[in-house]
This record gives sequence, structure tokens and C-alpha cells, in this order.
Amino acid sequence: MAKWTIFKQGVLEELPLQLGVFPFGVIYGIMAIESGLSPLQSFFLSSIIFGGASQILFVQLVSSATPVSIIISSVAAINSRHFLYGISMMEFLKHLSLSWRLLLAYLLTDEAYAVSIRKFVGETSNQFLHYHLLGTGLTLFITWQISTLTGIMIGENLPQFLDLQFIIPLTFIAIVVPMINSISIFCAALSSGISALIFSNLDLNFWIIISAIVGLIIGTITSRFDKK
Amino acid sequence: MMMWTIIILCGLITFITRFIPLSGIMPNELSPLIKKTLKYIPIVVLMPMIINSLSIYNGMELFLLENSKLYAALIAVVVAIIFKNVFATIFLGMLSFILMSNFLYI
Repeated sequence: MAKWTIFKQGVLEELPLQLGVFPFGVIYGIMAIESGLSPLQSFFLSSIIFGGASQILFVQLVSSATPVSIIISSVAAINSRHFLYGISMMEFLKHLSLSWRLLLAYLLTDEAYAVSIRKFVGETSNQFLHYHLLGTGLTLFITWQISTLTGIMIGENLPQFLDLQFIIPLTFIAIVVPMINSISIFCAALSSGISALIFSNLDLNFWIIISAIVGLIIGTITSRFDKK
Repeated sequence: MMMWTIIILCGLITFITRFIPLSGIMPNELSPLIKKTLKYIPIVVLMPMIINSLSIYNGMELFLLENSKLYAALIAVVVAIIFKNVFATIFLGMLSFILMSNFLYI
């Protein structure tokens, strides 16, 4: 298959997912403005970070006056899943030139990965597979920028009485719940949540780090109960 | 200016985590322990954020009964389990929060 045919296939396979991505981008744009970021900062966050969960987390932490070190380490922690994506795509992409790998690493997000890895695993012998990821990634990038811009424009004109901050925990619920697919992940979630309650009065938002460590420990301990 | 610096640092961190596996410096197979730990990380970071936004505990007492955010969050959890859809979860969670806090005065 020629490379641009594969590119087009990536674009077309990514399109249906935009129904979910677009509203998410709009919500991010609204929240960014609500949290006090300038319209320019809100907009460029979408291309500088380019990751929905990280951006919403960023906005939440900035609006609660969190120390910079905790903002950066939390964003890094959330991104650790992209590391796993990269590892599972490594064998298909590592032969590419540096500029291709830089570009594709930038475009590697949840939704692009989900669609392209299916293609990669199904057609291992094709030498133009990376054009598929280029197609899914670029489609997502364009939708994300347009939806963010839409959210920023809506956010600037919203009435003040709506308590929109509540959208942030709801977004996190939407991300976390489908990830809980084993006993140990459930225990990790539960214990980190309880720790957040117990340690919520600690200075400098240290409860974030402590709760995460408690969850990691409990998750690792209980992993022996997971079905193999 | 400070804000732009934080934004750019977070962008760099994000890019680096995406690029390291493709950079060629990694071994071909990660140890199973590291892989498993990486799976827990997004959850143990986001879960405390969720709990902390629900105003359940103020350091003195628990607010479990008259807490519309808590009820709306539970509804959102159910929606997320059934539909596995980000927008439906946010929309129905927000709708139930607005309805409960404005009409049931919870």
C-alpha cells in the first residue's frame, strides 16, 4: 500500500473518535480560562503539552496555587503511560530517521496510539506504517487546537454563577474508572483516595505525593491477587 | 513570565516521556515490575485529586450526607462504568450536580 493511502486510512480511522475529543477540548478551554490562565496561555498549552489529562491536571494545580515542583512532577507522573505506549511502538518505529521519531513522539497521545497500534500489530510487514500514526496524530492535533480555541471563546463569555470547577474531578473520574481493570489497581485507587483524605491538611500540597506513594505500595502488595 | 516557564517545562517533560522509548537508548524489554508500576501511576495521582475536590473532609468532620458533589461523583462513576465515555460522564455528572444543588438543596 502506498504511503499516502496509509496516511489517509489513519485520518479516516481517527475521525470517529473526534466526537469524544472535541467536547473534551472545549471543556479544557473553558476550565483554563476559569482557572485564570490568559487566553494565549490556554491556547498554547494545547500545543506545548498536547495531552488532555495533563492539561486539565495542570489547570487544576495552577488554580490551587500548588508549588511548581509538585505541578511538574504530577504532570510527569500522568504522562508515564505515554512511556508505555512508546515502548509498545518501539519495534515499529525505531528504524526511522531522527526527525520522524521526534515528530511521532510529539503526536503520540492516547487516542492516536489506540487506533494506530491496532494497525501496527495487524500489518507488521508494511514499511510505511508510520504514515498511519502521522494520520491519526495530525487529525487529533487539529481537532484539539480547534476545540481548545472554541472552549476559550466560550469560557470568556460564561456567566460567573456556574460552579464549573466541578468539571475537573468529573473529567478525572471519566479517565480513571475505565482504567480500573484488576484487583490491585482497584486497591491502589482506593488507598490513594483514602490517603488524600487523611493527609489533606499537609502543607504545600504534599498530600498529592504521599497519597500517590501509598497507592503505589498498596497496588504492588495486592498485585499477587490479580488474575494472571 | 513565571507561568510560561512552568508551561514550557511541563511541555518538555511530556515530550521527553513520549520520546525516550523511541530514542534508541532503551533496552528492548522493560522489567515486569517497572511495567506494572507504570500502570498504577496515573490512577494514584488522579484518584487523590478526585477525592480532594469533593469537599468530603475539612480536617475536623466528614461531609457525607449533605454533599451534592459526592453524590454527583458517584453518579459519574456509574456512568463511566456503563458508557466508558468521557463526555457522557462529565455531562451527566455535571447535570446531576446542578440539579441536586439547585433543586434538592443538598
